Amino acid sequence: MSRRAALLFFCLVLAALVIQVSLFPIFIRPAFKPDLLLVIMVFIALRGSFETGAPLSWLLGMLDDVCSGLYLGLNAATFLITFFVIKSVSDRLYADSAILFVLTVAGVTLAGFTLNLLLMVMFTSSPGIAYSMLSDIFPRLLVNAFIASIVSAFPGFDCQLESP
Amino acid sequence: MEFLKKYLNPLVTGIGILAALLVFSLNVPHNREANIAERSVLSVLSPLLQPVSRLGSLIENVWDGYIQLVDTHRENMRLREDIRSLNQRVLEGNEAVLTNQRLERLLDMKKIVKAPTVAATVIGEDVTSWFRTLVINRGSSSGIREGMAIISSDGVVGQTVKVSASTTRVLLLTDHASGISATIQRSRARGVVKGKAEMLCTLEFATREEDVKVGDTVVTSGIGGIFSKGLPIGEVTMVKRGEYGIFQTVSIRPAVNLSHLEEVLVVLQGGYE
Repeated sequence: MSRRAALLFFCLVLAALVIQVSLFPIFIRPAFKPDLLLVIMVFIALRGSFETGAPLSWLLGMLDDVCSGLYLGLNAATFLITFFVIKSVSDRLYADSAILFVLTVAGVTLAGFTLNLLLMVMFTSSPGIAYSMLSDIFPRLLVNAFIASIVSAFPGFDCQLESP
Repeated sequence: MEFLKKYLNPLVTGIGILAALLVFSLNVPHNREANIAERSVLSVLSPLLQPVSRLGSLIENVWDGYIQLVDTHRENMRLREDIRSLNQRVLEGNEAVLTNQRLERLLDMKKIVKAPTVAATVIGEDVTSWFRTLVINRGSSSGIREGMAIISSDGVVGQTVKVSASTTRVLLLTDHASGISATIQRSRARGVVKGKAEMLCTLEFATREEDVKVGDTVVTSGIGGIFSKGLPIGEVTMVKRGEYGIFQTVSIRPAVNLSHLEEVLVVLQGGYE
């Protein structure tokens, strides 16, 4: 990743984080808050290299954890696992496709929910959280897919993340 | 003749002045009445004066209404700007009044709590909807530690969980991981208030024999050392006693409107090292 791309990426993540923590809660009901960091992670997984994408995905997950709940490392683990899965198949797919991007974001939202729930049930004491998560998953999936479709409409969407 | 030719002009002028003075002196006693000359002149002029006056008004209207429109437009813009600025000031004033009211109520709560407190503003919320946490703009530099009580003017908000130098994460009482020892104010029945989905809580471990009714106020019991005794937690909204089981199911609506929280008090007491 070039220095310019890295700076751009840093600014993008920072903006996404600030919007998600301070802006969305004012205007959007909790169940309809999109996970911008997850969308960025999927983009990296589809377009970026393994060497850059894996640590970045882990870092994005950690950032998500810092701004959410009590369990540091929960989303980091989920993001990394999902990244590995996407990366293992992305070479065989037409990764530039906008539809694929939207579908992958929806799929990752569902997978992230399952993994998070599994990890929390196994390692934490959060009785009743499954109900909260289940009640939110459908709107969350739709909102994330909607955000992905907006991202895919941006002019620079089809550009390469890293020069070969 | 030579004399007349030489002094004609001064002579005529003198006669004219004398005539004018004569007319003036003759008219002084009747200065409120129009004489024949005046009446004649006015009669002749009146048919002309009216249309000319109308024309003058028309010209004035045209001038004010059209020619001066450039100024009117400018003035309009300036007035619009003034209205915008005044509206902004009215909004700011209203906001200041509301903030003042909230802070006054917070100060009232501060008087109730005996321990030292620090006021903080909510600056962020949890990025996901699965957990119920907030971020406030005070941290360890203000003396905050993990495990301190957070209250607002209406009652208990939650407790501090992750403290950095300038910000603190607050675990709301509606989060699944939250647990606060509580008492029903009327019957003194005890239990633990746990977080539940949809911004509600439940009173756990309240046995079937305990006297709990809908509308009862739930307050902190003081057990646990985080919250002082008697702080309002919420109101009982539903009580269900099944045929079997040791405990009853009690739903509680928090006293604090957690989705519209702006200012909170951190009680600088207790906390983990």
